[in-house]
Amino acid sequence: MSAGAFTRIFDNDWIGPGIVSLAAVVGISVFQPSFLSPFNIFVLLSAISVNMVIALGQLVIIAIGQMNLALGAFGGLVAICFVGVMELYGASPVFALLFGLAIGTSAGMASGYMIARTGISAFIITLAGLQIFKGINLGITEAQPFYGVPQSVRDFGNLTMIGPIPWLVVPMVMASVGMWYLLNHLRIGRYILAIGNNPHAAELSGINQRVTITWAHAISGLLAAVGGIMLVAKLQIGQPTIGDDWLISSFAAPVIGGAVLSGGHVSVAGTFFGVVVIAIITQALVLFNIDPYIVQVVLGGLILWAVSINRWRELRVAKLQEQGK
Amino acid sequence: MNHTVASPSIATEAQNPVQGRGSTLTRLLLSNEFGLAVLLSFTFLIFANTLQGFSSTFSLFTIGRQIGINTMIGLAMMAVIVTGGLDLSVGAIGACTAMFFGYLAQVLGVPLLLAVPLSIVFGAGLGFINGTTVVKSGVHSFIITLASMSIFFGLMIFLTKAQSFNQLPPEVQGFGKSKLAGVVSPLLIISIVMCSALSLFYRFTTLGRSMLAAGANPKAAELSGIRTGPIIRACHVLTGGLAALAGLMLTARTGAAIPSMAGQLGQDWLLPAFLAPVLGGTLLAGGRVSVVGTFLGAAFVNVMTSGLLLMRVGEFWILACLGFMLLLAVLTDKARQTILSKKGMV
Repeated sequence: MSAGAFTRIFDNDWIGPGIVSLAAVVGISVFQPSFLSPFNIFVLLSAISVNMVIALGQLVIIAIGQMNLALGAFGGLVAICFVGVMELYGASPVFALLFGLAIGTSAGMASGYMIARTGISAFIITLAGLQIFKGINLGITEAQPFYGVPQSVRDFGNLTMIGPIPWLVVPMVMASVGMWYLLNHLRIGRYILAIGNNPHAAELSGINQRVTITWAHAISGLLAAVGGIMLVAKLQIGQPTIGDDWLISSFAAPVIGGAVLSGGHVSVAGTFFGVVVIAIITQALVLFNIDPYIVQVVLGGLILWAVSINRWRELRVAKLQEQGK
Repeated sequence: MNHTVASPSIATEAQNPVQGRGSTLTRLLLSNEFGLAVLLSFTFLIFANTLQGFSSTFSLFTIGRQIGINTMIGLAMMAVIVTGGLDLSVGAIGACTAMFFGYLAQVLGVPLLLAVPLSIVFGAGLGFINGTTVVKSGVHSFIITLASMSIFFGLMIFLTKAQSFNQLPPEVQGFGKSKLAGVVSPLLIISIVMCSALSLFYRFTTLGRSMLAAGANPKAAELSGIRTGPIIRACHVLTGGLAALAGLMLTARTGAAIPSMAGQLGQDWLLPAFLAPVLGGTLLAGGRVSVVGTFLGAAFVNVMTSGLLLMRVGEFWILACLGFMLLLAVLTDKARQTILSKKGMV
C-alpha cells in the first residue's frame, strides 16, 4: 500500500525536476557556499522570474498541441516598442506598459486566428511570424538599442521587495497562478487541454476550436510581452536582440516539467521546477568557470533527457492500463 | 519544370489535388511549379527593365550564386519534410560541417579533394545521429532536432572557441569566385546537378519511392512491407549531407569558415530552408516533394531580395517581407486547394 502511495507521488510531473532542483541547490552550496548568498539568490530569482513567464507563454501553446516559434520575436518587438514610445514620444511607463501588452496580445491573436482559420500548421505560421516581427523590430531600431528606460522601470527590475526577493517575482507569481487557474478552473483552459488531447473529440463535443486556438495564442503573446518588458526592466535597456535566445529554453522548461508535446497534458508546477533546474545549471556553470557556450549543449541534453523520461512514463502508463484490462 | 516528382501511384489523391481528374495540360497549368515559374519570370523581367544594374553580369552572377546556396539549404529541409518530419538543426549542421572542413583544410592540411567528401560524410553523420534518435525515441523530430541544434552548435563553438578559419587554401575562395561563361557560378551548377539527381532519386529508386510512400501514409507503407524506421533515418542522413554541402558552398562563397555564418544556433537558415520547398509546393504533411519547385522557390526568393535591395529597401525590412512571402505562399496554396476541390478536380 505504502509502495503504491510512493509511486503515486512519483506520478506527479513536478516531483522529478523538484528533486533535481533541491539536490542541485544542496550539492552546489556544499562546494560553493556563496551560492546561497543573498545576492546570488536575488540573481537566481530574477532569472527564474523572467524565464518562467516566457516558459508559460510556450506552455499554453504546447497544451493545445502546437508550437510558437515567434514567442521571442513577439517579446523583442514589445520590448523595443515599450522603450520606444517612452523615449521618442515621452509616454508614461503605465501607458507604455499597456501599449506593449496590447501589441503582444494582438500579435498572438493574429497568428492564432490565422492558424485556426486556415488550418495551416502552427509551425509555418509562427515561423513566418518570427521573421515578420523580427524584421519589423530591426527595421524600426536599425539594430540599435533604445536607452530611454525611466528610473521607475529600472528599479522594478533591479530592486528587492523583501530580503533577497526581487520585485520581478510579482509578475511571475501572477502569471503562474493565473495560468494554473486558467488551465484547471476556467472553461477556456479546459477547452485548450481538450483540444490538445484530441482535437476531433473536442470538436464533436461542441468546443469552438477557432475561438479557443485564437485565445491560446493571444495568451501566449501576452506572456511574451510581459517577458519582454521584464527583461527591459532587468537589463535597463531596450535591446533589439531580446527574445533571440528564447526558443530553446521556452521549450526546455515545460518539457522538463513533464509536458506532452502532442498536447493535452502540461504542468505549471513542473514547468516552474524546469525553469529552476535550468537557472541553477546555467549559474553553476558560471560559478565553476565552465565555458558559457556549454550551456547550450547542456540545455539540449536536458531536453533529450526530459523527453526520454516522459516517453518512458507514457509507455509505463500504457503498460499499466493494459495490465488493468 | 512541369514534372511533379511524386508518382500518382504513391501519393494519395487527397494529398495531391493536382493529380486528380483533368487533362495533362490543365494539371500542368494548375501546378505550383508552373505558377511559380510565371511569377519568377515576371518578377525578373520587371526588375531587369526598371532597376539599373539588376541585369549586369556581376549582379546576375551573385544572384545565381546565392540561388545555388539557398536551393541546397531548401533541398536539405525538403529531404526530411518528405516523411512529414522537419529538421531545425540544418543550420547547425551546415555551420559545424564548415568548421570541420576548415579544421581539416587549414589546420591538418588535408587535400581539398579528400576534405570535401570527408566533410559531407561528417554532416551526414550528424544527420544519422538525428535520425537514429528520432526513430529510437519515437518523439517528433521537432523537439529532437531542437535539442540537437543546441548540442551541435554549442559543442562546435566550444571546440572552435568561436574562432573562424580564414586561411583556407586559396582554391576554396577561387572556386566561389569563379565564373563559367562570364556569369554562371559553379555553385549554381552544383545545385542544378543535385536537383536533377534528387528528381531521379525520388522517381526511380526504391529508396526514394519508399521515402515518399512512408511520408504519404506511414501505416499503409508499413503494411506494404516498407520498414519506416530505416527510411526515416535515411531521410535525416540525406538532410545532413545536403546541409553539409550547403555549408561548404557558403564557405566557398565567403572564403572562410565562420562559426556564425548561419546565425545563432544556425537559426538564420530556417527561413530559406522552409521558404523554398513550401513555395515550391512540397507538402509539410509529407508524401509529396517538388525538387524543381524548391529550386524555383529559392530562385524567386533571391530575385525578390536582390530587387528589393536595389530599390534601397532596408535589409531588415526585407526580412519582414520574406516572412510575409512565406505566409502568402501557404495561404495561396490553401486557397488553390479549396478552389480545386470545389471545382471537383480533386
